[in-house]
Amino acid sequence: MRNKLLGIALIAVLLAASLLACAGQNAKPSAGQRGGTLVIGIHQEPDNLNVNIANQTVSFEVNEFINDALLGIDADGEYIPELAKEVPTVQNGGISADGLTVTYHLRDNVKWADGQPCTCDDWKFTWEVITNPNSGVKSTTGWKDLAAVECPAPQTIVFQFAQYYAAHLQSMGGAWILPRHATGDPAKMQEWAYNRAPLGNGPFAFKEWVSGDHLTLVRNEHFYLASEGQPYLDQIIIQIVPSREVGKQLVKTGSIDVLWNLTESDFPDFEKAEGVTLTGLADTRTERLVFNLRNPEIDAPCADQLGAEGLWHWALGDVRVRQAIRYGIDKKLINDKLLYGKATLGTAELNMGWAKPNIPVSAYDPKKAGQLLDEAGWQDANGDGVRECVSCQYAEKGRPLRLKLQTTTGDKLREDAEQVLVEQMKAIGVEFYIENIPSAELFGSYSSGAIRKHGQFDILMYTTNYGPDPQSLIENYYASWNIPCDGNKGLGYNYSRWINDEFDRWIKVAGESPDLQTRREAYQKASEEIDKDVPAIYLYDRLKLNAHRNTLQGWVDNNWQQIGYNSGAWWLKR
Amino acid sequence: MTRYLIRRSLQAVPALLLVSLCVFLMIELGPMDPLAMYEDNPNVSPEDLLRLEERLGLGQPVHIRYGKWLLNLLRGDWGTSNVTWRPAILEITDRLPNTLYLMTASLVATLALAIPLGIVSALKQYSALDYVATAFALMWRSIPIFWFGLLLIIVFHATLKNPFTGNPLFPGAGMYDIRDKGMPGYNAILDYAHHLALPLTMLTLHSAARYMRFMRSSMLEVIHQDYVRTARAKGLSERWVIYRHALKNAAIPLTTIIALDLPMLFGGALYTETMFSWPGMGRLFLQSAERVDYAVLMAIVMINAALIIFFQLAADVAYAYLDPRIRFS
Repeated sequence: MRNKLLGIALIAVLLAASLLACAGQNAKPSAGQRGGTLVIGIHQEPDNLNVNIANQTVSFEVNEFINDALLGIDADGEYIPELAKEVPTVQNGGISADGLTVTYHLRDNVKWADGQPCTCDDWKFTWEVITNPNSGVKSTTGWKDLAAVECPAPQTIVFQFAQYYAAHLQSMGGAWILPRHATGDPAKMQEWAYNRAPLGNGPFAFKEWVSGDHLTLVRNEHFYLASEGQPYLDQIIIQIVPSREVGKQLVKTGSIDVLWNLTESDFPDFEKAEGVTLTGLADTRTERLVFNLRNPEIDAPCADQLGAEGLWHWALGDVRVRQAIRYGIDKKLINDKLLYGKATLGTAELNMGWAKPNIPVSAYDPKKAGQLLDEAGWQDANGDGVRECVSCQYAEKGRPLRLKLQTTTGDKLREDAEQVLVEQMKAIGVEFYIENIPSAELFGSYSSGAIRKHGQFDILMYTTNYGPDPQSLIENYYASWNIPCDGNKGLGYNYSRWINDEFDRWIKVAGESPDLQTRREAYQKASEEIDKDVPAIYLYDRLKLNAHRNTLQGWVDNNWQQIGYNSGAWWLKR
Repeated sequence: MTRYLIRRSLQAVPALLLVSLCVFLMIELGPMDPLAMYEDNPNVSPEDLLRLEERLGLGQPVHIRYGKWLLNLLRGDWGTSNVTWRPAILEITDRLPNTLYLMTASLVATLALAIPLGIVSALKQYSALDYVATAFALMWRSIPIFWFGLLLIIVFHATLKNPFTGNPLFPGAGMYDIRDKGMPGYNAILDYAHHLALPLTMLTLHSAARYMRFMRSSMLEVIHQDYVRTARAKGLSERWVIYRHALKNAAIPLTTIIALDLPMLFGGALYTETMFSWPGMGRLFLQSAERVDYAVLMAIVMINAALIIFFQLAADVAYAYLDPRIRFS
């Protein structure tokens, strides 16, 4: 009897404890323990740490610890104030009715890590650098549309646009800026000592960079949240671990606390690992098949030539063939088999965030695929399992429906996906054959003669990504004025050479309107055109995965930003 | 002798020029494009790409760019990396000490292991020891070195623990403990040695196998020579015969092998550096190739080529000095 009572009491205590534990999890994490060193393993070395000239992804990862911007982005892709007091809108007067004047108010205590005040003048300086024709800056997108950056007060920043620029919240609000007092002559940006030892305004301050080995960041005592105790960590060391296989061993033994940038194929490795979590979300990279709609034997035809006879791709020029291929692909099977069911299935170019259109996942219907191909005049007349042109639109009679599928070499997931696609196509009488090439070659420039730029392919498989503002991506990839050819020196990314007047119209509306709701609707209409015409098939969204030791507290996945976006709140449980 | 040296040095000039031209053309003709990395960045507009291409001078014809590179080099300027925007020579001097440290340690360990084993193997030909040594040598030469490196990490870092502290038995990455370095109670010599152990093992076993086989065959050849038999016939002690007469002669071809391997002290060991996160020259070379970093790639290749030519000459001179039968003409 006593034992029973004791048992009930014990269960009651356990229940209460577990309830408390749950409550603790739901509550906003209270202040963490201060101190400790966190080691992050990365497989790349930054090229340099000035984001205006750097291009390695890891440069941005490092800068996220060192720098804050006016605005941040939460996990849902919505803007939140960071260094600014609030997100400017038309309602709160931050954005003028014509969208040409955008005003930000800085928090009171924003300083550079050396204690100098960080003011409007630094944003002005950043604009001066980016628009200086001799600075060698990588991208001038958005900043070149500014007429001026005005500083009515040190803590008031006014962006005055000469012409409306849709993505200003991302480009200006999200920009990491340059300190005027710790850089140099804008025309000599590439020679600045800053590039290897940047001064920032974020939670951590740069301390040293040992070439090929590691970078050390220490607590920024002047961080604007310092009064709240942030950052909690004393130090972050970013160690360069070139082999990911070795990195996985190191994070399992605790030699490093975080391993950056893993892939779906690493899930089995971490299933039984103790004390380590592999976590992440699908991000903006949608793996897709890009169709070439034009004759691959003709070198880079321009948009104005495309009405001519004989320029259609012999098979893919017919929309029914493209639709049939889409009906023949079982996206769910690819996800279940190759991605452990963890990815989301692809539907549209804009796969997440505020601009995501409402497009259903394409149906898997091999029967329908067969009907469409029959209709399009592709039938298997000789019974060898591959359809031939019987009465098709653009090919000579008897030509088998045999298409080249190309992606980057050495990417296991892509190679596996290709194998599945080949099988699924076989089932509908289409033959895919694989001819992969190195990524530097596939993504080469127009002048280097890359097949993608020159339209010398049938089907390509790869992924591309975009920031919170999707305009530049979707316009660059699908607008008719972005078809690369000799006439425009190969500018533009419309590799399908797809022309759709409806799409063009909607993408202009989206790019010219300051109203988010109008833009959202325009993206919906534009995406419906892509879905109807199938210049590309969206397969699945790639996951952005990282592993971290469970002693690290405060880790929150956010696929819009780098891993360290909330590093001020990270702490180590001892 | 002096005339010979001058002639050989002069011959090196066209050789180096030819190497530089070939490598420059190879980078140029390769499918790699220094701007490819910007292509898929939606924030880099097509106009930005054109501006960058112009700035990097990629629009100029290849002979102009090669000429510029060569002129700068004659003035002692190795150029600026088009990836990090630092002088190329700085990229190299940052990494060189780490590589020299690892490679010198490995060369010393290799010789210390391979020469005695090779000698014993030769003297006791077809003994159990000879068979075992030969079998191991074959094995180390045959297994892929990166696989062996990963195996070392899995066994000695991830699996085996130090029984006193519970930490991994050996560190799996880097030259020193990045958390502890500079902290109170930090012992640099112990820490560096601890970190050197696994990469050194990986490198040494691999190269020792080659040296051991070489030493063995060289020794075997010598001990059947007439002068060794004569020495024995004179009644010299076996030890004297082996070390004074046989080894001295057997070691001569070895100098050539060592001299030809010395440029590797500069070039580094790509696989070992990659597996053990060692910040050395091999990785710098690969990284520069991947990022199409002209200046750094060219600097590494040219210094390497110059070293190979120099050490070849040094080997020839040493050979003549050690072997009086050889005379310069």
